[in-house]
Amino acid sequence: MKLVLGYLYPSVMSQYGDRGNVLTIQKRCQWRGIDVEVDHLELGDRVDPDRVDLLLVGGGADTHQRLVCDDLLHVKGDGIRHAVEDGAAAFAVCAGYQLWGHYYKTATGDELPGLGVFPAHTVHRAAQTGTKLDTITKAGSVRAVGNLVVRWGSRILVGFENHGGRTYLEGGARPFGRVLAGSGNNSEDGWEGCVHKNAIGTYMHGPAFPKNPALADHLIKTALTRRYGSVTLDRLDDAREISAQHRALQQATAKSGRWRRLWSDGVG
Amino acid sequence: MKALGETGGSQAGRLAGEPEASAPRRRAWTTMTARAAAVNAGKTVRFMSRALGRGGGTTLPGHLADRIDPGLVAALARALPNGCVLITGTNGKTTTTRIMAGAARASGLEVITNPEGSNMLSGIATSLLVRANRLGILEVPASAIGIFEVDEGALPAAIETLSPRLVVITNLFRDQLDRYFEVDFIAHLWQRALSKVGPSTTVVLNADDPQVAYLGEGTSARVMYFGVEDRQWARPALEHAADSRRCPECSHDLLYELSFYAHLGHYACKECGWRRPDPRFAAWKVQLQGVEGSESHVSTPAGDRLLRLPLPGLYNACNALAAAAAASCLGVDPDLVQVAAQATMSAFGRFERVSVGGKQAVLLLVKNPTGFNESLRLVLSASGQRYLLLGLNSNGPDGRDVSWIWDVEFEACAGRIQYLAVSGHRASDLALRLKYAGVRDPGGRPEPASLAAPAVEDIVATFFTAIEQTPRGETLYVLASYTALWTLRRELVQRGYLAPFFRQAEVAR
Repeated sequence: MKLVLGYLYPSVMSQYGDRGNVLTIQKRCQWRGIDVEVDHLELGDRVDPDRVDLLLVGGGADTHQRLVCDDLLHVKGDGIRHAVEDGAAAFAVCAGYQLWGHYYKTATGDELPGLGVFPAHTVHRAAQTGTKLDTITKAGSVRAVGNLVVRWGSRILVGFENHGGRTYLEGGARPFGRVLAGSGNNSEDGWEGCVHKNAIGTYMHGPAFPKNPALADHLIKTALTRRYGSVTLDRLDDAREISAQHRALQQATAKSGRWRRLWSDGVG
Repeated sequence: MKALGETGGSQAGRLAGEPEASAPRRRAWTTMTARAAAVNAGKTVRFMSRALGRGGGTTLPGHLADRIDPGLVAALARALPNGCVLITGTNGKTTTTRIMAGAARASGLEVITNPEGSNMLSGIATSLLVRANRLGILEVPASAIGIFEVDEGALPAAIETLSPRLVVITNLFRDQLDRYFEVDFIAHLWQRALSKVGPSTTVVLNADDPQVAYLGEGTSARVMYFGVEDRQWARPALEHAADSRRCPECSHDLLYELSFYAHLGHYACKECGWRRPDPRFAAWKVQLQGVEGSESHVSTPAGDRLLRLPLPGLYNACNALAAAAAASCLGVDPDLVQVAAQATMSAFGRFERVSVGGKQAVLLLVKNPTGFNESLRLVLSASGQRYLLLGLNSNGPDGRDVSWIWDVEFEACAGRIQYLAVSGHRASDLALRLKYAGVRDPGGRPEPASLAAPAVEDIVATFFTAIEQTPRGETLYVLASYTALWTLRRELVQRGYLAPFFRQAEVAR
């Protein structure tokens, strides 16, 4: 068996360690004897819906969003939409998630059209509140930054979120999970992410896959099922994954006092 | 009319007798009183903090004084006879500040500087207020100059408050995204801050870093570039940790003719033609002598110079180059930079050497993917066997988000490490990262025994176990995030293996 992973915009949309998701898919397939080919699909490269089994896109800087937006609409859009409608697996994080929705209203109020895979739209918090982002403090005040814990079906997932945009699901949209700690889509309705067919959009960095191996395996499985029919994945020894997940969960739910206080005093 | 309850009764009374001048003079008097009160409160807090053994008292005094009198820092900075210098950048600002301060001292200047880690405005305020007398007036000789390290995010406020004569920017990498959000945002803040300074200020910029070099375009300050011209350290491709691959002018792809590390190199935009500026201070030949240090042949406007440095790696050679460029803008001879560089003691976690029971350890602070990659490269370039201890915490100063370890090239360690241990609150994240990097024990076991065991979060315990495992004659390399290293360092100080760093800074002064 072979899995073809389409890694979208590795150089401009992989700011928050999301490359770890790619490594995780590669290793977890390798350990099971499944071949993996990674296509690096940069700006200007097209997506072949018959070739890719799994699409991954990560978070990027706001400044690159317009470039990526143009490329999504005019170069990759058709390929991605065809692949997703045909049942290919996809995992879009943060800026990737935002640009796969209907539109994204930026901090300055411009509206970037999205790919429309997810029935959702995103508005930057600064545009909602009319905040001008001219200092670190102001930029921080509009961002949702911190640990993110989500209930996904019967499982608990843990990661980290860092976003200025607030995403709102539209009628008929299926959320990816329920927020247990953190902000998720918009810190108002308690939902996190969005699902369409086998495509998942989420704010979960961390990166999401290494510490949530069940999620990684879910995407490997749906990707392979589309090509090979029903597949069963061999069990792996996930002791180290689970122990890292538990520690991250502890950190996410505990309030650390001392260093945070010192830091806000400017020590360090 | 005499205001009731006015402090300093007799003075206020005299003022009351002169109605014309009364209001401004009283304002001047209350300003003076507030200033003195601010300085005295700050000094008291600093004295108590040290007496109670609560550390160096390097930030809180300045913070408090600033709350009492918000104009204090600007006023003290204005009173510096030779003005002040601000040094910032993601990596290398501490080392650059130290070398520069050393060179300035060697040239006869009296240097006022902030100790390691106290690089917010409150830290700079503390270093100034300890030099003020009880009336709040700066008491320094005519040869005094301020040379301050500044946090990247604090640079705009520092420029506005301190009106520096010289600003040095070493580089801009991705670092603590939970605190700084995006690299481009910091670049944007710097650009705005520099657009407000005039030609009386000089800006020293790294020509090899496109986002830093581009800062020279939108400012009316004098601009001086430094950069590396030696092609032997160029690598074939940009690393994954490169943050800035796009032209700051037109957003198109930058073409790299040479790439040194991260996104530092020789670049040009194929679309708009914007390219790396030619540096006036250029390292033509850099000889890296492993972990011992480096030797650079540098061309300067004052002629060619040799720059020897006891700190290892190309990145430290770049720091020395930045210091040489900055020092020459102050009129300090580059030869004195050479003297200062050779005498530079390593700062907190910048290749600090420790000897424990006849065994050697080196402490390296790692804060971001670029710094971690360079530190790993250094460890792997060392001769002999490799003993490595990694520490990762996720407290505020470390960055609460640990995802960046997935952008570090741990794959390069696979099969090349004799002993490897992980520690810190997020030891399990490190262990997981190493598993996916395929890091295995060269002894043939599936993976290092230290990794097979449950991760030990206590960095002190892990350190003493690791140093026991390290044979005499070999070196244990400790690569740890800020609070993990701080915890270890504090223990090593308590056991007498190291000096506290605020005392170290005083010795340097």
